[in-house]
Amino acid sequence: MFTRIVGQYVIVLVTTLSINFALPRIAPGDPINYLVGEDTAASLTQAEQDRVLQEFGLDKPIPQQFVDYVTGIFRGDLGTSVLLGSPVWEVVFAALGWSLLLMSAALFLSAILGTVLGVLSAWKRGEQFDIGALATVLFLGSMPPFWVAMLLITLFAANLGWLPSFGAYELGTSPGSLAYLIGIGERMIMPVVALTLVQTANILLTARYSMSMALDQDYIVFARAKGVPERRVFFGHAFRNAVLPVYTNVMMGVGNLVGGALVIETVFAYPGLGSLIVEGVEARDYNLLQGIFLLTTLAVVLTNLIADLTYPFLDPRVRRTA
Amino acid sequence: MTGSKHRTVGLPGLALATAFALVAAAGTAWGQANNAGESGNQVPPAELLSVTNNQGPTTAEHLKIGIWSKAGNVTTYTVGNSWNDWMLWLVFDKLREPSPYVGGGEEWLATSVTQISDDARTWEIKLRDGVKWHDGTDFTAEDVAFTFEYYREGPANRWTHHASAVPRIEGIEVLDPLTVRLTAEKPMPNFDRITAADLPIIQKAQWENVTEPRSFTDLGIGTGPYRIVDYKADEFYVFEANEDYWRGKPQVDKLTLVMIKDPQTMFTALKTGEIDGAARSLPPELVEEWSKDPDIEIAKAPSLWGSWLDINHSREPFDNRELRRAVSYAVNPEPMLERIMLGWGKSGVHGWPHVDSFWTRPNISAPYDPDKAAGILDAEGYVDANGDGFRENPDGTPLDWSIKVASNQPLFVRAAEMLTTQFEDIGIKTHIETIDPATFGGLWSSREFDLRVADITPHGIADQDMLIILYNGDVRRALKQEPEKDEIVLRWRDTETRQERLEVSYELQDYQNTYPVRVMLWYPDGIFAYRWKSYDDYESSSGYGIFHKYSFLPREVRGDTVDQLASTRQ
Repeated sequence: MFTRIVGQYVIVLVTTLSINFALPRIAPGDPINYLVGEDTAASLTQAEQDRVLQEFGLDKPIPQQFVDYVTGIFRGDLGTSVLLGSPVWEVVFAALGWSLLLMSAALFLSAILGTVLGVLSAWKRGEQFDIGALATVLFLGSMPPFWVAMLLITLFAANLGWLPSFGAYELGTSPGSLAYLIGIGERMIMPVVALTLVQTANILLTARYSMSMALDQDYIVFARAKGVPERRVFFGHAFRNAVLPVYTNVMMGVGNLVGGALVIETVFAYPGLGSLIVEGVEARDYNLLQGIFLLTTLAVVLTNLIADLTYPFLDPRVRRTA
Repeated sequence: MTGSKHRTVGLPGLALATAFALVAAAGTAWGQANNAGESGNQVPPAELLSVTNNQGPTTAEHLKIGIWSKAGNVTTYTVGNSWNDWMLWLVFDKLREPSPYVGGGEEWLATSVTQISDDARTWEIKLRDGVKWHDGTDFTAEDVAFTFEYYREGPANRWTHHASAVPRIEGIEVLDPLTVRLTAEKPMPNFDRITAADLPIIQKAQWENVTEPRSFTDLGIGTGPYRIVDYKADEFYVFEANEDYWRGKPQVDKLTLVMIKDPQTMFTALKTGEIDGAARSLPPELVEEWSKDPDIEIAKAPSLWGSWLDINHSREPFDNRELRRAVSYAVNPEPMLERIMLGWGKSGVHGWPHVDSFWTRPNISAPYDPDKAAGILDAEGYVDANGDGFRENPDGTPLDWSIKVASNQPLFVRAAEMLTTQFEDIGIKTHIETIDPATFGGLWSSREFDLRVADITPHGIADQDMLIILYNGDVRRALKQEPEKDEIVLRWRDTETRQERLEVSYELQDYQNTYPVRVMLWYPDGIFAYRWKSYDDYESSSGYGIFHKYSFLPREVRGDTVDQLASTRQ
């Protein structure tokens, strides 16, 4: 089974590498407008434009660019970013840390919040708690992420003055100092809350549905008939069976969070991958976008691989099938 | 040291005003002799808009200013537009300053820039002695010569056209350590007003071995009042005052420019005091409310930007200049200024190029006249043959032009909606297409559109050379179809005096306003907000607003062309 799973992921990787290369180039335009300005770009001949693009290897024919891209991956060279003039790996890894910080915090909080509220909603199905939790989370989750972010800024930064409105850390503080760490903590609160709200509704719905299905099973009725305490029915029988789809959903949420981060990081001027993708798209920075897409692909594939490989520990049935 | 400013005039102010008027009268006579080749247009004075009479410090240890466009390592290859070129000018100087957007200007790195041939092809530049680069080495004629060579031969950037195209500089000679002579293939009667006032001088020692300037990540070394000491291109830029600046030590010791792309976040950060100034124009709807904020000062300064309807004349049917004339008559910019900009600016009825530019013919206009528009359309065969209320093409096929707008520009979407209605009034059917900003930006080169609403920087509508470059580039194909316009452009290139060039430029402006390729919609006021308790000695410079190096220099060395805002304080 292990070999089959890894084989599947290799196919996924090869396919996505090709898509990652093609996607930025399908969009109209090229990096020349960003590099020299729109008005100057319009006044250049093709030869002059190629001379500018040559620095980034973008004057070559497309098939040659693809070969350079794929061989570069194996050499650890993803080219130079048009946007920042630095090697793509360097740029991407600098941003990755900040995004991981936001996304892992949001993933953790949304997983806990969504699972607890979803499971409790199912347990108290039809009661006030269920209706209240469902309505609240769905209402918050249906709001556009940028709007949630703006509301948070308006309330907690502009009106109450409790939190700083932008950035990832207090500028001018030394990395590792207490002020630096406090700055990081203060500045991640609003982005994490916004990302968590986006993600929680999904997990809640999955948890509620799985738990409801589990609670309707015969073994629950049988357990109760046997006189098993409700606490044990909840944790030992219903929740344990309901958790697998929730776990899958949480792991799949990494992809959703990357999408949410595009908007949230831009609004909060947070220097993560989300901001970088937005700017990369605006500059048509092919090399940078390829690098970020590659990393994102790897992250999603890796997360799903981890999910696949850890299923057997959560569900004995999967273990037996294997 | 702290200073103060006063809005009220009073008796001492009256005396000062009288003295100022006398000086101005004398200056006018001098100016008439000295300002040949200028139209006489003047930008409106800058003014402070806050309701209270604020008096803040004129020095500061550290200011944080919000910016929204990256500048890389702050070199001429990583700064490429009028959104953030002021960052470049913190580090680099030009031969003359402040810019091609103001009349006159003054010698800066040069002590003289002199035309030495009658045909205006050869100029001699005498350089200031004792100027140092930020690394402590001497600034010399070799650096100036190298700058022109590098821009002429190397990869293109926003400034290279001055050496490579309009016109191409053929001869670059270093006559002595402080003198350079340049000879161009064509006359350049405004070399001192435009090229010398626009081209940043770079250090030969830093750049002579750089073959890939956009991958070069060393900190830019300039001669300017600030040295860049740290940056993360997508986060911040730190500048420290150059204590040995030849013009005088800046009044602000340290500047941190912070990247905040989202406008709401930037203005919230200003409101909360996280930044001291926002280097982007305040949205019109905020002006009234913010003018009452006791912590914020608002200044209106001439930005020389414009918003226009771009007509794609390189494709049918807009290659028909009569049709473009009809489009121009059909557009009514006045209600756009009132409803979209809430009156903060000037209407596009003033025509092209920028109404306040000293290169623009006085009283130029592009009038709104829907009856004339309808008459031209009738004459060209655009009639409503099937009675559905909309005209068809002359061959009877349905007509439905698209108006493209960038999705991140809500004001332009609103303008496009108003344009749709105005075109409908003369029986023209149009529809709006919103597209992502990068695709939209590429339209300038790709020409894949009918009509589009966009903005244009001072470099595009307040710089006489650039007006010609625009005719060289995106309209190259169309020039062949309009020999009359082509002939004007060629004649412009051969003019040998400022006045001749201005007059030919007027012909081009007249042609453009009669058969436009771009219909001006409005010219926005630049409205800038800052926390006056942090620093309160900003100045205005046409085309740059109030955030630029002159605002941080001692008042007495800022120069005569950047004092408009100061005059409102007397």
